[in-house]
Amino acid sequence: MSYRPCGNYHQYYKQDHAWWQTKFVWGKMILLFIAVFYLFPQFAGMYLISIANVVGYTILSAMGVQLLIGYCGQVTLGHAAFLAMGAYTCTLLMLQLHIPYPIAMVMGGIVGGLWSVLFGLPSARVKGFYLIMTTMAAQFLTVEFFITQYVSQIGGRGVAFSIPPGAVKIGPWMIKDDKDVYYLMVILVVLLTVIMANLVRSKIGRAWIAIRDNDIAAETMGVNIVLYKLLAFFVAGFFGGIAGAFWVTSLAAVSPEHFHFGWSLWLVGVILIGGVGSIHGTIFGALFMTLIPEGLKFLIFVLTQNPVFVDIMPFLPLLLEKFLFVKEAAFGLAIALFLIYEPNGISYRWWQIKNYFNLWPFSY
Amino acid sequence: MRIKMVIAISFILCFFSSLALSQEVRVGALQDTTGATSDVGKDEALGVREATQYFNDTGGINGKRIRLFQYDYGYRVPEAITTYKRFRDYDKVVMVLGWGTGDTEALSPTINADKMPYLSSSFSGHLCDPKKTPYNFVYGTDYSTNARGAITYWFEEVWKKDPKWKELRDKGTKPKFVCFIDTASPYATAPIKAIKDQATILGFDIGPDQNVSLFALDTKSQVIAAKGFGANLVWHGNTTMSVSAAVKDASALGLGADHIVNNWGFDENLPKLGGPAAEGVIGLLGCALFIDEYPAKSRVIEYAKKLNPGIPLENRLIRTVQGWVKVGMAVEAMKKADKAGKLNGPGIKDAFETFKDWPGLKEYGGQLVTLTPTDHRYSSIVRVARVIKGKPQTIGEIDMKAKFPDRWAGWLGW
Repeated sequence: MSYRPCGNYHQYYKQDHAWWQTKFVWGKMILLFIAVFYLFPQFAGMYLISIANVVGYTILSAMGVQLLIGYCGQVTLGHAAFLAMGAYTCTLLMLQLHIPYPIAMVMGGIVGGLWSVLFGLPSARVKGFYLIMTTMAAQFLTVEFFITQYVSQIGGRGVAFSIPPGAVKIGPWMIKDDKDVYYLMVILVVLLTVIMANLVRSKIGRAWIAIRDNDIAAETMGVNIVLYKLLAFFVAGFFGGIAGAFWVTSLAAVSPEHFHFGWSLWLVGVILIGGVGSIHGTIFGALFMTLIPEGLKFLIFVLTQNPVFVDIMPFLPLLLEKFLFVKEAAFGLAIALFLIYEPNGISYRWWQIKNYFNLWPFSY
Repeated sequence: MRIKMVIAISFILCFFSSLALSQEVRVGALQDTTGATSDVGKDEALGVREATQYFNDTGGINGKRIRLFQYDYGYRVPEAITTYKRFRDYDKVVMVLGWGTGDTEALSPTINADKMPYLSSSFSGHLCDPKKTPYNFVYGTDYSTNARGAITYWFEEVWKKDPKWKELRDKGTKPKFVCFIDTASPYATAPIKAIKDQATILGFDIGPDQNVSLFALDTKSQVIAAKGFGANLVWHGNTTMSVSAAVKDASALGLGADHIVNNWGFDENLPKLGGPAAEGVIGLLGCALFIDEYPAKSRVIEYAKKLNPGIPLENRLIRTVQGWVKVGMAVEAMKKADKAGKLNGPGIKDAFETFKDWPGLKEYGGQLVTLTPTDHRYSSIVRVARVIKGKPQTIGEIDMKAKFPDRWAGWLGW
């Protein structure tokens, strides 16, 4: 393995800023890309691909929450509203004005971003619990009122909009099945991760982190905190809008029910579990929050459907009725245990594991 | 020698068990037993399981055993989607028994692409137009027809005849109408366009919709708004718990209007939860109440006692019977498809579309079912009931196709 030798420092900033600094890391990342772009879609089967799509959607949705809470310190409990704006903008532009999907998606992102700025305006004056209340207002005003009462009624469609088959395409590439959605998801996740990672290590990112750590100190250092807070809201809303527009391809339908308050809370849960202030954390959190319930579902099916288990333990079918809470409780317990034993999130544990192996055998 | 024998026996067992497995028909069922509509979903899930056991005990699908994959998705749309995809790709089911309007409508493009027959507990009128949703089927009169029928019945039988409204009638006042719905719920909002169209046809004065959550415990502000409008008739589009809260508040605040409740909000629990306030409330029934007299009652009770002895019969609801209706209709379609040698998605769809005045659901107090390749509305007959002396009782039926023959075809897909 070719580690960077101890005491051998970089000569140029370019080297110092490189994401992948050693050949080993390059090799690792190339393998990851091969796995994600070729091996997984080739061999995983449609069911696992559809779960991967939900993981990807969760990553895209939570990225903006990570930016706001993890990097800029602006707590948000209304992020589903910006997803909804993106999803509906994209859908309406495609259905009503027949605008191509990629443009509609970017427009969805921009509308999500501007909508987010609108509800970010109070952040110029309030913070903490008060900001939570204003972002919650975004959720209810946008989804329950604006979208349900007005936007959903455009074209006389009622609540749910269906996208006709073949409507979602990027140039000649038609997004028609889960595998196409998967490739789109992976491309979007990579793109947004790159944008986010570059933003947080730029001047803008440093300003956000300064605001998160101490906004008064940041202001005294000359950071225009209102501008940067609003910029954070815009970028987070843009990411949310893109996530919402992606969801449209995954389902070929959109309804206000997909963007309820529970989803906003869920996204905060994703970054708390994954690790606040870490891009890796967003990905780990999304994996955890999607795969654990899916794993529990798998377990419940095995335990209640397999005649061998049911013969040995006849009480198992009760898991489908009287002990339904077991699955929910197991999930809740997993979250609680994580917060107790690993309050810094999975990304911190990942960092520790990586360090252990990097320093091995002299890890003390 | 002994080891060889064990291996040989294992192989034989594996062979026979695989034979047995190949003789099964896999069916997926999405249920809500913990989520927003679990107040009605729990009982329906029991009915689905008990009915499946009964049909298995009486020969399954032409000798093939039904293997039911039943799963609670907690009314969460993303979980419904991943579970559906599990059913499709992992469990390899031939059809799905679905639940909510939100997830059924969300999944509709996907199931069409997958050619997966989907018999849903959502009776949304949007799912009945085969041009748009060829693989969706419902097992009750659709919400839109029901809603149109209910207010038509009320207009003709209550508004025009009840002494309560005589004064307003004599003055020539138009009935004032308001909807109490969870505006973010596709289930609650599905028939609103149709009901308002019907209200316009009947000459009602339509007031602003009142947003009442599916979880609502307090609806006073909505009742006060309806009272301010002077509502004479309120349509409740939510499920039982929310409806009972609204009915109680309406009574406490002296709203004075009549109430009509969609079928998932009207059951044996409504008078229990609503108390005296629920007396006189009108509602829609898709089939017989659990406590009613219907030909299959002894069978339904036998399997309820046999499979779920811990649940007292007095706590059972119409939802159990609806579970039987759902499975009964699915089984009939699968039997027909199997006989035709096409026990697959398109085969089951074709089998459903051959139903012509099928009487199988009469045993459960359902209607004669007619489905065609151009119309998936299960029936045009609307069954209206009313809470009388603390018990929901059928008070009449109205055939919307016969009553509005010129409009009936145009209402498809509303």
